[in-house]
Amino acid sequence: MPPATEIVTLMVNGDRREVGVPGHYTLLEALRYGLGLTGSKQGCDKGDCGACTVLMDGEPTLSCITPIREADGRRIVTVEGLGTARGPHPLQDEFDLHGAAQCGFCTPGILCSAAALLARSTNPSREEIREALSGNLCRCTGYTKIYEAVEAAAARMRDNG
Amino acid sequence: MAKSQSDFHFIGKPQRKIEGLEKSSGRALYADDIRLPGMLHGKILRSPYPHARIVSIDTSAAEALEGVHGVVTGRDMPTTYGIIPWTPDEYPLALDRVRYVGDGVAAVAAVDEDTAIRALDLIRVEYEELPAFPDPVSALRADGSTPYVHDAEKEGRNGNVTKHVHMEFGDVDGLMETSEVVVEGEYFFEGTTHTPIEPHCAIGLWQPDGSRRDGLGEPTRDERGDGTGADSGPRTGSGKLTVWSATQVPHYLHRELARVLDVDPARVRVIQPLVGGAFGGKSEPFDLEFCVAKLAMKTGRPVKILYTREEVFYAHRGRHPFHMRYRTGCDTGGRLKSVDAEIVLDGGAYASFGLVTTYYSGQLLCAPYAMPAYRFDSTRVYTNKPACGPKRGHGSVQPRFAFEVQMDKLAERVGLDPVDMRRINFIGENTRTVNELRITSNGFLECLDAVERASGWRDKFRKLPFGRGVGVAGSTYISGTNYPIYPNRMPQSAVQMQIDRSGRVAVFSGASEIGQGCDSVVAYVAAEELGVPLEHVRVYRGDTDFTPVDLGAYSSRVTFMLGNAAIQAARKLRQMVQQAVAEEWDVKPGEVLLAGGRAMWAPDTERQMSTREAFNLAEAKFGTLGARGWYDTPKDVHGDYRGGTIGASPAYSFTAHVAEVEVDVETGFVDVKKIWVAHDCGRALNPVLVEGQMEGSAYMGFAEALMEEQVFKDTDHGRAGLHDGPSLLDYRIPTSMDTPELESLIIESIDPEGPYGAKEAGEGPLHPSIPAIANAIYDAVGVRMDRLPFSPPAVWREIQAARGAGTLRKPPC
Amino acid sequence: MLRLPPFSYHRPATLDEAVSLLGEHAGDVLPVAGGTDLIPNMKHRLFEPGHLVALRGIAELSGIRRENGCLRIGAAETLASVARDADVKKHVPSLADAAAHVAGPQIRNAATLGGNLCLETRCTYYNQTAFWRGALGYCLKKDGTVCHVTKVGKKCVAAHSADTPPVLMTLDAVAVLEGPRGRREIPVRDFFVADGIANTRRETGEIVIEVRIPLESSSRRAAYAKLRQRNAIDFPLLTVAVSVDLEDDGSTVRSITGVVTALGSRPRELSGWGEVAEGHALDEDVVWELAERAYKQCHPLENIIVDPDWRRAMVPVYVRRALEKLRA
Repeated sequence: MPPATEIVTLMVNGDRREVGVPGHYTLLEALRYGLGLTGSKQGCDKGDCGACTVLMDGEPTLSCITPIREADGRRIVTVEGLGTARGPHPLQDEFDLHGAAQCGFCTPGILCSAAALLARSTNPSREEIREALSGNLCRCTGYTKIYEAVEAAAARMRDNG
Repeated sequence: MAKSQSDFHFIGKPQRKIEGLEKSSGRALYADDIRLPGMLHGKILRSPYPHARIVSIDTSAAEALEGVHGVVTGRDMPTTYGIIPWTPDEYPLALDRVRYVGDGVAAVAAVDEDTAIRALDLIRVEYEELPAFPDPVSALRADGSTPYVHDAEKEGRNGNVTKHVHMEFGDVDGLMETSEVVVEGEYFFEGTTHTPIEPHCAIGLWQPDGSRRDGLGEPTRDERGDGTGADSGPRTGSGKLTVWSATQVPHYLHRELARVLDVDPARVRVIQPLVGGAFGGKSEPFDLEFCVAKLAMKTGRPVKILYTREEVFYAHRGRHPFHMRYRTGCDTGGRLKSVDAEIVLDGGAYASFGLVTTYYSGQLLCAPYAMPAYRFDSTRVYTNKPACGPKRGHGSVQPRFAFEVQMDKLAERVGLDPVDMRRINFIGENTRTVNELRITSNGFLECLDAVERASGWRDKFRKLPFGRGVGVAGSTYISGTNYPIYPNRMPQSAVQMQIDRSGRVAVFSGASEIGQGCDSVVAYVAAEELGVPLEHVRVYRGDTDFTPVDLGAYSSRVTFMLGNAAIQAARKLRQMVQQAVAEEWDVKPGEVLLAGGRAMWAPDTERQMSTREAFNLAEAKFGTLGARGWYDTPKDVHGDYRGGTIGASPAYSFTAHVAEVEVDVETGFVDVKKIWVAHDCGRALNPVLVEGQMEGSAYMGFAEALMEEQVFKDTDHGRAGLHDGPSLLDYRIPTSMDTPELESLIIESIDPEGPYGAKEAGEGPLHPSIPAIANAIYDAVGVRMDRLPFSPPAVWREIQAARGAGTLRKPPC
Repeated sequence: MLRLPPFSYHRPATLDEAVSLLGEHAGDVLPVAGGTDLIPNMKHRLFEPGHLVALRGIAELSGIRRENGCLRIGAAETLASVARDADVKKHVPSLADAAAHVAGPQIRNAATLGGNLCLETRCTYYNQTAFWRGALGYCLKKDGTVCHVTKVGKKCVAAHSADTPPVLMTLDAVAVLEGPRGRREIPVRDFFVADGIANTRRETGEIVIEVRIPLESSSRRAAYAKLRQRNAIDFPLLTVAVSVDLEDDGSTVRSITGVVTALGSRPRELSGWGEVAEGHALDEDVVWELAERAYKQCHPLENIIVDPDWRRAMVPVYVRRALEKLRA
C-alpha cells in the first residue's frame, strides 16, 4: 500500500503553504513535486553536492536529506524567494553580470549559501566566501566568477545600506 | 582587414547571458522541472553482473503490481544503436547479454517513482555469468575460449578490440636514430568522468493521432500488452513522438530515436530544455531516452526517467584510461625530430565515440610544435566496465599530458628553459602539421609570453625553495570538426532569423545550450549586426520541430559554426534594412549604420531613426522579413590518407599554462597555489564567458590531475567491474576549498574564418593543466609523476621512492 | 532520484515523550537528530524503520552552558553551534576545531554533537546503494555473511569515522544517556566497542542527551588534526586528538593522551604514551617517539578506499602535527 499522505504546513518564501505529500518525502521533493518550486535542484541524491540547499530558519539546509515533517512550521526560503517584486537579490543580479552561473544547476543552492553568508557578514573575505560555499559543488566555473559575484553583491549591499 | 575592438558595439565586451537571470532566479527549466499531465515515472533495472548471458526475464509480477502501467525489455527494442554509424553495438536494453555492472535490462513505468522501484524488485532475471574482462591486458590476451565482450566480426579476430589505428608521418625511425637526445617514458592516465551536477533526465510523450498538441485528453493506454514483450505498442505508422532530454545532441538523438523505434523522423520531436552541465557526458543517446519513448508509446501516457547519481556513473562515457609509451627525440638545440607513441585505450563495454577517440589519441598532438616525424599506434579495447567516450578535450587530454611531460624531460636534458623549449619548436601560423592538418591563426607564442610574464616564471623556475615549484605546458584543440559524425553534405549549423515591425529580432537556433553561452552568442551577433538592444533579441532554441539543424554541443564547434551562421543571417536582414532606409533618405545603403537602437546616416549621424522605424520601412518594402544563415566546414583541407579527415578543423585554438605548486613531502599533498591560463580564442566575443570557459577548463584539468578517478573493484575487492564508489562523496570533485586561484589571460589571434575571428575556448584550456602541474611537482621536489592522478598516496609513494634513491631534491638548473 | 523508504515521523516535544515513543515502537524505530547520516543510510536501504523519532525539537537536548565545573552541551546542539560557541572556543578549542571540520557547512548546520557521537560506522562495502550491495552479494554488516575487507573474518571492521569523539575522549568528556531504564552516564572513553555493526554502548531505546566536559583542568591543552583528501565534505581518513596536562612549571608533562580514529571500528586510545612523555618536556624527541609509538599501534584496513599503507604512514605525521599545535 502506498504510504498515507500527510499535510505539512511550510512558510515558504513568505507564504504559508500547505502541502500534501507522503510522509517519507524529503523537503526537496515536497518543494519540487508538491509545490512546483523547481528552483531547488537535485544533484547527488543524498546530501553530497549542495544543489538542493535552501534556507530553513535562515540556515543553509540540504533539503534532499531533510524529512518533510522536520520542516513543518518552519520558515523556508528557496532561490525563488531571494528576490522581491522590485527585482532580483543583488546576488542574483551579480551572478548574471559576472557569468557566475554557467549551466546554472548548482546556482540556486550556491545562492542560498551565499545569501546566508551575506546576512551575517556584510564584508566577507575571499576565504570566508570559500568556506561558506564549501558544501556546494560547482562543476562549470572553477568558482572564481562565483567569488567575484559574491564580493560584488556584498559591496552593493553595503552601498545600499 | 580585421575589425578592431572599437568597431564593435556588443562583440568583445562583457555582456549578460540572455538566460542569466532566469538561472539565478530559479525560473530556468531543466528536464526534471517539467511535469506533464498524467505523467508516469520510469525506472530501469540494471545488471549486477559485469558479463552474463540473459537466460530469461519474467516481468509478470511487476506488471501485476498496482500502479504499474508498462514494462519493457530488450525484446521491445531489438535494434542496435551507437553515436558512430559504423559501430552500433548497444541495445536500448540488453537483449541477450549484459556487459557491465549497470547495463540496463528492463524498464517500468508506474504512477510514481516508489511504485516503479517496487516493480523493479519483482522482475525476475535469470543470468548465466560469463568470465569478465576487467582490464585491457586480459581483454587483449583473450583467445576466444570464453565469449569476447563483443563477438568478433571475423573468425580469428579478437572481438575485444574496438579499433586499431597505426599511422606514420615522416621517417620516424631514421630521425629517432639521428636524434641527439631521446627520452622514453611510460604514462598512465586514469579514467575520469564528467560529473555534471544535473543527472540525466528524459520525458517521453506519444500522441497517437499525431496532431494533438499535448498529452491531454483521453490517454490511450495500450491494453494489448501481455507481458511477452512481443507487443511493441501502438502502430508507429501514425502518431507523434516527443522526447524532452538533458542532451547535448538533440539532432543525433532525433535520428536514433526514429531509427531504433521505427518512427518516421518527420514524426519525432526532440526538445532540449536547459542542460545542467554535460562536458561530453550527454553527447550520445542513452537508455533512458529510448525507454521513456517506448514506455510512452506502450502506455499512452507521458513517462519521465531521472537517473540517480549512481546511474550517471554507470552511464559514464567519460575519459578513457590510457596506457601510453612515448619516445621523443630532438637535436642538441632542443628541436624536435621524431615522436613515436604507442597507446592502449581502455574502452569499457561499448564503442561509444571510441573509433574517433582512437584517432584523436594520435591525430591531435601535431601542434603547437613542429615535428618532422610522428608515428602513433593506438588500440581501443573493450572491457566489462561502463563505456568510455568523450570528455572535455576528447581523446587528446591524455596524450597531451604524456607529451608535455616528455617535453619537460627533453628540455632538462638539453639544458633549455622549458618555456624556451616550447618557443623554439613553435609550428607557426598558416601552415600544415606533419599529419597535414591546416593551421591558420596561431597565438601560441603570445600565450607562452603571457603566462611567462604573469607567473613571474623567470624568477621562479628552479629558483623557488625545495617543495615549491612551477611548471609549464602548452596545447592545441579543434574548433569543431570538418566532417560530421555521419557522412552528409548538409550544413553543420544554421539559424533562422526574423525581424518585424515591433523592432524585435527572433532567432531560431538549433544549437545546444549547456551552460557555455551559445544562445547568448547568437543574440550578441543579432544585436551587433542589426543595431538593436540585447533585450530586443529573443532566442528560440532547442526544439527540433522549429529550429534548423545544428549537430550539437561537442568538439568545441558551436561558437565557430553557429556564430558564422548567425552572422550570415543577420547580415542578410541588415542589408534589407539598410536598403529600405537608404531609399527613404535617398542615400547609399552602405552609409546606413545600425547601432544603439538607431539607424543613422554615416556622413551625418544626426540624421537618424529608431531601428523599429527602420524595420517598418524594410517590412513595407520587402514583405515579411526573415533570413537563413548556415555554416559548413571547409572540406578540402586535410591529408589524403585514410583517417586524414579526423582531427581536421576549420581552426585551432592554442593554450599555455603555468602552474605553481607546493608539495608536502611528508604527506604527498600537492597544493596547487595558482594556475595562469593563457588561451588563444581568436576573438573573445564576450570576455566574461571566455574567461568562464578558461577557468572552468583549468579547474577540470586540475581536478583530474589531483583527485578524480573513475575506478572499479577487482576480484580481490568484492567484484571485478563494480564501480568503486558511484556517488559524489566517493568520486571526489574539488570543492571551493580545494580549487586553486585561476587567472585568465585572453589572447586574440583573430582567426580569418571564425565569426568575428573567434575560435573555441571551452575545451582547449583544460589540456595543459595536468602536465603543467606534473612539471611543477618535478620542479618542486624532483619527482616525476607519470601516472595520474597525483593523489596524496601516489605522490607520497613516489616521494618515498625518490628519498630511497637519493633523488628527492630540487632539480639542477 | 534515490527515494526514502516509507516511515512515520514523530516530533516529540519532550524527552519523556521521545523515550516512550522509542519504547512504543521498539524494534521498528530509530531516533534521528540532524539526519545527515541516517537519511542517506535510509536512502541506501541500510535502515528501513517504520518510525523515526526526531530529537531536534526537544528543549532538554539543547543549550551549551557552564555549570558545576562542567561545560554541558545538549546532544541536539548542531556542530555549527558547537563550533562557534564562545565557551567551547575558549575552554575546549580542540572540540570547536573538530566540529568546524566535519563535512561541509550545510551538514554542520543540521548534524548534532549527539549524532556525531553515535555516527554509524562506515565501510566502502557498506555505504552504497541497495543495488550496489546486491551486486556484491551484500556484506557481513548488512544482509550478507561475508566481510569483503578481511575476507575470512566474522567480525565487522567498518570504520569509526566521526571527528568529535576522539577529541571528547582526550577531554575526559562524559555522555549522558536517557532510556527506558532511566538516566546513566558513560565516559566517552568507554562509550565505544570494537564491533563495526554496533560500536557503542548505547542500548536500544536510549538517547544521548548531553555531553559533559569537565573544566577543572585549566592547564590542559588539547589539539586535533584531520586527514582527508578534500578540504570539505569528506569524512576523515584519519583523525588525531591529543591533550596534555602540564606541571606548574608550564613545561613538564604531567599526563598525556592521544586518540586516533577512522582506522578501526572504534577510536583507539594510544598506549604507552605516559612512559615516554610524563616527567619530560614535550620536546622534539618526545614528539617523535610518541608518533613512532602511534605508528606501531595502528594498522588501517581497506574499509576505506584509500591506500592503507599511506593512511598508516600518515599516523605519525598527523600525531606530530597535532602535538606541534600543543607546543605552539
